[in-house]
Amino acid sequence: MNELAIIVEDDEDLATIFTEALQSAGYQVETLRDGLIAQKRVSQVEPHVVILDMHLPIVSGADLLKQIKADERLKKTIVVCATADARMGEAITDTADFVLIKPITFSQLRDLTARLHRL
Amino acid sequence: MKITQRINSWLEVPSSDPDDARRRRLLNIILAGVIILSALMQAFTIWLWFTTARAKWIAGASNIFWVTLGLLVAGIALFILNRFGPGWLASSLFLFVMTIAITFVDKPEQLVTGRSLFLFTLPIVLASMLLPSWTAFAAAGMSIATLDFLVIRMAGDQIALIPTFFTLGFIALLAWLSSRSVEVALRDLRKLNHELDQRVAERTLELSAALSRERIESGRIKAILESIADGVLVFDVSGIAIIANPSLTHLLEVQDDQLIGATISGFSDVKTMDTYNRGILNNLLTNPSRQLSNYRIQWGKKTLSVTSAQVVDRDGDQIGTVAVFRDYTHEAELERMKNTFLAIVSHELRTPLNAILGYAEMLKEAIYGPVNEKQTRAADRIMTNSLRLLDIVSDLLDQAQMEAGKLSLHIGPFRPADLIENVHGVLDKIAADKGLQLTSELDPELPEYINGDIARLQQILVNLINNASKFTEKGSIHMSILLTDKQHWSMKVEDTGIGIPEDELPKIFEAFRQVDSTATRKYGGFGLGLAIVKQLAELMEGNVFVKSQLGVGSTFSITLPINQARSPK
Repeated sequence: MNELAIIVEDDEDLATIFTEALQSAGYQVETLRDGLIAQKRVSQVEPHVVILDMHLPIVSGADLLKQIKADERLKKTIVVCATADARMGEAITDTADFVLIKPITFSQLRDLTARLHRL
Repeated sequence: MKITQRINSWLEVPSSDPDDARRRRLLNIILAGVIILSALMQAFTIWLWFTTARAKWIAGASNIFWVTLGLLVAGIALFILNRFGPGWLASSLFLFVMTIAITFVDKPEQLVTGRSLFLFTLPIVLASMLLPSWTAFAAAGMSIATLDFLVIRMAGDQIALIPTFFTLGFIALLAWLSSRSVEVALRDLRKLNHELDQRVAERTLELSAALSRERIESGRIKAILESIADGVLVFDVSGIAIIANPSLTHLLEVQDDQLIGATISGFSDVKTMDTYNRGILNNLLTNPSRQLSNYRIQWGKKTLSVTSAQVVDRDGDQIGTVAVFRDYTHEAELERMKNTFLAIVSHELRTPLNAILGYAEMLKEAIYGPVNEKQTRAADRIMTNSLRLLDIVSDLLDQAQMEAGKLSLHIGPFRPADLIENVHGVLDKIAADKGLQLTSELDPELPEYINGDIARLQQILVNLINNASKFTEKGSIHMSILLTDKQHWSMKVEDTGIGIPEDELPKIFEAFRQVDSTATRKYGGFGLGLAIVKQLAELMEGNVFVKSQLGVGSTFSITLPINQARSPK
């Protein structure tokens, strides 16, 4: 059975591309549009990987990141943060498992998550 | 004092001719003496009338009474004539009367024997003083004629009197000489006075002209100060506000009496300000630099640009502080809008580009079904062009951030070898597509780690190599990382391209400029690459050098400190 990946991204096109990339990497993908929905969802399931946009409506990516990392139940979950802001990226390198600076290409994300999937 | 002034005004006769005035005054003095003496004598004879026997009075004092009465009346009449009539007439009459009087002081017999001959010198001397000096001779003539008449009539002996005639002539000469010299001296004195007056008048005129010039000058400065749109506030050396122009009171929305006389700290209290803005303002006004320094402060709802400078006199001593305030609200708003615009450009332009890039890649990777070779190439072209557009957007954003001074460096240790490897990774394919060879060299003397912002260093190299490849049709591009000295290292990019004309060299680092405007179309790009290189290098405390030879190629090198400080700026 394929493992679960959750993508939290408000931009529809990027969400589609990320979804395709993770599906290509062999994940079963759920795509969520805002931080609040994502907050509820991660309290119900145990995703293998979360692709987290830092600029999200309602609940920010940074808050969500803190919440996931603080949750003992989700300690195996790998969080990949995506941001266009290099300074923001630097600020979360200690907390996040991976930080990708936008623009993120399809193949970049596919190749990274494919490796994570094999772990 | 009052009395002498009154007497003086009585004796003075106003006249346009100063000599005439002097003479009339002299006559007045003499007449006054005569009148007073006559009056006293009259009083004396009247007193005698009451104290002595009538017959005795008539025998001894009546002559005196009548003579002094005559003198009194004549003196008053002459005084009036002298004051209101012609002066020469009064003087002549006086002399005439006097001559008659002295003629009959003695009996002619006594006179002829010489008892009172000396009295005849009096009209001569007085004539020289009361009339033009030459009249001394006329008076002498009159005296001689009188004596002559008396002598001829009384004695018939002319010879005895000849010495007397000579004496009178001689006295006339002396009187004329002395009176003349007095007249000349007075004339000279008047001339001197006149010249002096004239000089004083000229000086006064000059002074008043200078004063009015000064007034105009200061009025002009005041007018300038009052009409300029910038607010000007001047503090004296003790920190008291002494000048505030209307623009300032308008700008600061306060009354000028709130400003004039205020101390620096008192001035900062005029409007409620937060400690940060107050600190800036206080510092700006208490420590003005000799050069202009410019800061922005928040003043109520307004943003003000404040410039302060020392007011220095000719000796270089500080005599005050001048602060110029300008309304920066509009500019600040524009700046904020520009930043918002940039953020929008950054986000809204890149997001769809990233989507285009992603979909093209997915098409190419056959996510949406099998693709043929032509379709793959088309997807490739979409990707390449999207990436180029992304680069341009990034360049524009970098340029704008650097202009706003907002670009920050992320300094950390990195391996120079990694830098070279990264650049090869990004550019090998692009160079190969153009048929160029990208070679590299790493100085073995370099330390394994250098401090710096590897991403920005890579950006510099990529920009330089991109630029080189644009202008190189065939040949190679060589990049090298070298140790310059103990404290510095350098990056160098050499090409075999068309080169840069010498007169264009200073301009190539300006933003939005290419050597030839047609080059924009031919070679692409905004001409931002080199501008960004230079600004990045300067941000890293580095220097950019360029050497070029037309038709041979160009070499760009950047020298940087090895131990880049952790956070410059």
